[in-house]
Amino acid sequence: MHALKNRDNQAFGFLYDNYAGALYSIIKQIITDNAELASDVLQEVFINIWRKIETYDQTKGRLFTWMLNIARNASIDTLRSKSYQNSQKNQELPDNVYKGTANQTTLMNVDNIGLKKILEKLRPEHRVLVELAYFKGFTHEEISEMMAIPLGTVKTRIRNALLQLREYLK
Amino acid sequence: MNVQEYISESGIIESYVLGLATESERTEFEQLCTQYPELVAARREFEERLEQHASQQAEPPPPGVKVKIFKAIGDQHPDHSPSSNPPKTITMENVNSPARSTSGWLRFVAAASVVLLIGLAWFTYQSYTQNNELQTTNNALKARLNSTDSILNQIVAEQKMVKDPNVTVVNMVGTQTAPKSSANIYWDSTSSNVFLVVKNMPKLPSDQQYQLWALIADKEGKPQPKDLGVFDATDDKVILKMKNTQKAQAFAITIEQKGGSPSPTLQKMQSLGKTTQTQ
Repeated sequence: MHALKNRDNQAFGFLYDNYAGALYSIIKQIITDNAELASDVLQEVFINIWRKIETYDQTKGRLFTWMLNIARNASIDTLRSKSYQNSQKNQELPDNVYKGTANQTTLMNVDNIGLKKILEKLRPEHRVLVELAYFKGFTHEEISEMMAIPLGTVKTRIRNALLQLREYLK
Repeated sequence: MNVQEYISESGIIESYVLGLATESERTEFEQLCTQYPELVAARREFEERLEQHASQQAEPPPPGVKVKIFKAIGDQHPDHSPSSNPPKTITMENVNSPARSTSGWLRFVAAASVVLLIGLAWFTYQSYTQNNELQTTNNALKARLNSTDSILNQIVAEQKMVKDPNVTVVNMVGTQTAPKSSANIYWDSTSSNVFLVVKNMPKLPSDQQYQLWALIADKEGKPQPKDLGVFDATDDKVILKMKNTQKAQAFAITIEQKGGSPSPTLQKMQSLGKTTQTQ
């Protein structure tokens, strides 16, 4: 850890070799349809890790947790960026036209990897909420509004989902 | 607070680790962690499981990304690495450079001034010389223009005279003493103006001049000479305005002493021309 904070290239290489795969997986679970973009985000994430390594506080969590959150935030930011939204408009329209409501299911099933694999084990009403909160980055309030579910219910369901998640991870 | 219940039922550990907790939830949880080591242990346990799971699900990243990352971060050397020495050297140079650059600047200004001065002097000299040349040329041209103008005016006047129907042309022919002498008299009978154009008259010694006479018949019919002025042989090919006369049966040219004589020396008569005018 000390070597990393001193920005030792070898230590950083070791970090990449050990964690790039796991982070790339989570990035791809968020940016589901564009491998090239996911690769760009992975690059951006590691450059940010290199730059921000000094701000990492060991008392607040493990290094992987810290990196995972950087990767998740960067992915969600990309997902919400204007250029990505524009490219999505062009692609999504035909999907909606031909697949209709099946689109939602496709989104869920295609990414049968990583954390999403565990989500499959959750009850659907829980799964959707965790999906929106974790992989789409919506706040509880936003989800409440989107799904027309009371905020308290959203919080309860997500809490229950997360508790279940912990059990599944055991 | 029942820590175990908090751990197993609040879901805060999971939402904290996964980055789903709100800012206030995070602050509260971090505060509680400093008080309850069990909480930290539970958090750590969940983190480890999550990490383990993620590692199992890891997907090999595309080749080339690592190289790109290292290329990108390679440009940003940390401050304490050996490569941070060059900036210090630059700082040292900056300390010295103001004095050096000031004197360098002054020297440059001085050199530029000298060059400018020399350039200015040369330019001034050039302008002066050129101005003189132009003035000389201009004067010469003016003189030529003046003489050309006067010649042209004479030619125009001659032309006018020749074409004037009132002007009588008297052709003066040489006498026996000077057979080659010839001149033309243009005599305007209305204005009495007499003009003489020398065609060919021998050059005279400097103390002598030609004199033109009008021969006018008196009451008895004898011709009386009337002085019409003197001229030189060098007044060649120009129109000479002589004295006016209203009457003349003939014109005569004699050689007289410089300035003319009151009466003509007829034996030296050079040419004679008769007019059509009769008494």
